[in-house]
Amino acid sequence: MRFLDHVRAGEWHTVVGYLLFVALMTAGYYYNVTFVQLGLIDLGTRLVGMSNTAVSAWMAALALSTFVVAVVAGVTMDRRGWSTDLRTKLRLLFGVLVVQFVLTAAAPHIRSVAAFGAWILVASVALGIGFPVSFSLAIDFVPVPDRGPVAAVITAATYFLANAVPIEWSIGAFSQLMVLAMAPGLVVLGVVAFELLSPVESIVDDLASQYRDFGTGRFCHDFPVKTRSLAFFAPVALMFGVFFVDSLGFLRIIETPALILTSWQSPQFSTRLAIAVVHVVGALMAGVLYVNFDRNGLFLWVFALFGFTYVLYTSDLRVGALFPALGRDAPSIVNPLFYALTVSFYTTLNFALWPDLSTAETIGTHSAIGVGMAGWLATFVSTAVALYLDHAAVGLLTHLNLVNALALLFFFALAVGLYLRRMLAVAREDERAPDGEADPGEGEVTG
Amino acid sequence: MSPTEIIPLLLVVLLLLAGSGAEPDTMEVVFEGNHTLGADTSTGEGISPTSSSGDDGALVVGGGTLTVPANATVSAPVFVVGGDLRIEGQVVDVRVLAGNVTVTDGATVADQLEVLGGQASVADGATIGSRSELVGELQGASPTRSPAGFLFQVGALALVAGLLARRNPTLLENVGDSVVNHAAVSGVVGAIAGLTLLVLFVYMAFTLLLLPLSVAGLVAEFGIVVYSYVVFGYLIGSRLPVERVDLASAAGAGLFVVALELLGRVPLLGILGQALLVAVGFGAVLVTYFGLREFEPAEIPG
Repeated sequence: MRFLDHVRAGEWHTVVGYLLFVALMTAGYYYNVTFVQLGLIDLGTRLVGMSNTAVSAWMAALALSTFVVAVVAGVTMDRRGWSTDLRTKLRLLFGVLVVQFVLTAAAPHIRSVAAFGAWILVASVALGIGFPVSFSLAIDFVPVPDRGPVAAVITAATYFLANAVPIEWSIGAFSQLMVLAMAPGLVVLGVVAFELLSPVESIVDDLASQYRDFGTGRFCHDFPVKTRSLAFFAPVALMFGVFFVDSLGFLRIIETPALILTSWQSPQFSTRLAIAVVHVVGALMAGVLYVNFDRNGLFLWVFALFGFTYVLYTSDLRVGALFPALGRDAPSIVNPLFYALTVSFYTTLNFALWPDLSTAETIGTHSAIGVGMAGWLATFVSTAVALYLDHAAVGLLTHLNLVNALALLFFFALAVGLYLRRMLAVAREDERAPDGEADPGEGEVTG
Repeated sequence: MSPTEIIPLLLVVLLLLAGSGAEPDTMEVVFEGNHTLGADTSTGEGISPTSSSGDDGALVVGGGTLTVPANATVSAPVFVVGGDLRIEGQVVDVRVLAGNVTVTDGATVADQLEVLGGQASVADGATIGSRSELVGELQGASPTRSPAGFLFQVGALALVAGLLARRNPTLLENVGDSVVNHAAVSGVVGAIAGLTLLVLFVYMAFTLLLLPLSVAGLVAEFGIVVYSYVVFGYLIGSRLPVERVDLASAAGAGLFVVALELLGRVPLLGILGQALLVAVGFGAVLVTYFGLREFEPAEIPG
């Protein structure tokens, strides 16, 4: 890891950059997976008294609005040169954090649909500006070879905290915890963004120039990946599929007491700790795989693992349906453990992928479209679909079977797509080569 | 017992049945409640004696309690993978994988009572053809108790290592390179692929239709592990003062098996160490396509 080289060389400003990035991204992602994904459903249905379908519609609106704001913010960042201006990015992020702090504190007091709608609107603006800005900090803080391991650390820390620290899945509990955590973070980010201490000014100066070395992503060194290209939209589509499959399944799992109370919300600490540890192990494994394999290989792993995990879930349900005596027993811990492993895999990939598909000139747009479409849009569209299916009284087995089919379909389509792409490349090479001079080794199929 | 926990045990039953030539789909499984063999099935309290006492269908106790009354005879094999089996009459063959079996005074197990897991309680007045327990079997199979078995294992692996090293050392060299220079990625790939495939094959077996594929897959996984042992032997052999690569590999493979056995004697850390070695070896075999080419990690500029 380059990180150790920087420590050995005493390049402390770079080390601070690593730590700042990990802290910011961990806090931001923890906020999203807990407060936004779980807390808002509780707020809408329990405190405001809306139906599941109405909440699903608002969630979809939040997704769409966040995505639009993010694209506008990302494109603006690139066009105005803010993507390469660290100070501007830090101040924007401070502004976003202030708004989110107020929103988080106010959320448990919302009781009307109008207030809920207004909250969603303001939150989408803050989120939409926040994530392209925070993802674009990768070009200032993290050297390209270390993006996989850093993404793994962020994922591991986020999911370990989310699973090992016991907290009730309600808007009140989330709000209290977030306000307490955000307050000191706000102070630290304020000091850094506005350079309120002289040593901080020197560190920010050093960090502000690092984008020249770290700015060109792993997949952009030979040819920068253009926004309007298959090289960019293929990973976007694949990541959309990953987030969609995950969210569509998980939102049904968390509504099934038999599944959730024996896993993520188990009263037994050892069960939650096991899930947290598997998240950590999975993230570290993904970090290793990211630096050793092509990104397509990683996508294959993720879809295969998702397909496999849902095969486990649906098999248990089928066996339970055939033999009710078995179905009455506690579900196996194996299924959530595989689920945790899979989620850690793709989350790590998500944190590293968008900066690596960007240059310093495109990081704003690419991270906005990438995270916006693949993450936010997919997650919240699937949330809406999941709630709709629930409202339409679709059974648990049918629901998870649908998710399983999607995962297997993505896996199959990707495998076939990669094979066909290689086959076309071989055919083109054969056409170009004169008769009898084709290199026999070029027919080799690679991932 | 949850489905995920009971499925592997049912798989073992299926494999045992398939191996004995019986029809797995004719087996009868008890999962809940109290049952007495031969009682009126319409009440839901009993199971048919015809299906369980025939020559083909096996009887599997997965939960609840099954009683074989004093006047009943069961000629089909009986497997206990959970719950309780109470024998008051006559049973020919009983295998206990988990759960409890009680053989009462005057009851008979004509052939054998095999306890691989769970507990067996046999009254003094009961008649048992032969009885075996896993703990005793394992101790008997331990190298210290059965040196011949262990020597056979060492010899077989050394022979395979020697033959492979003589015939195509490049294969072993490529996998060995991955073990030595790319241990982390090999270990990660090995751990995920090994574990996932293992669970997949178990689930495949439960479909019955895919049982042959499941068995083939498990054999293939075992083959990969053996191949990785050969590679470790090759690596150890290359550091021995022996010129001939086949002899060195054979000696190395023998030493590796001995070292692995000794490692297993260390409490906890020994098993972790063994698992780590297997994962790294398994992954190295996969990422090098069984040694057909060297593993080259993706290049990251910068």
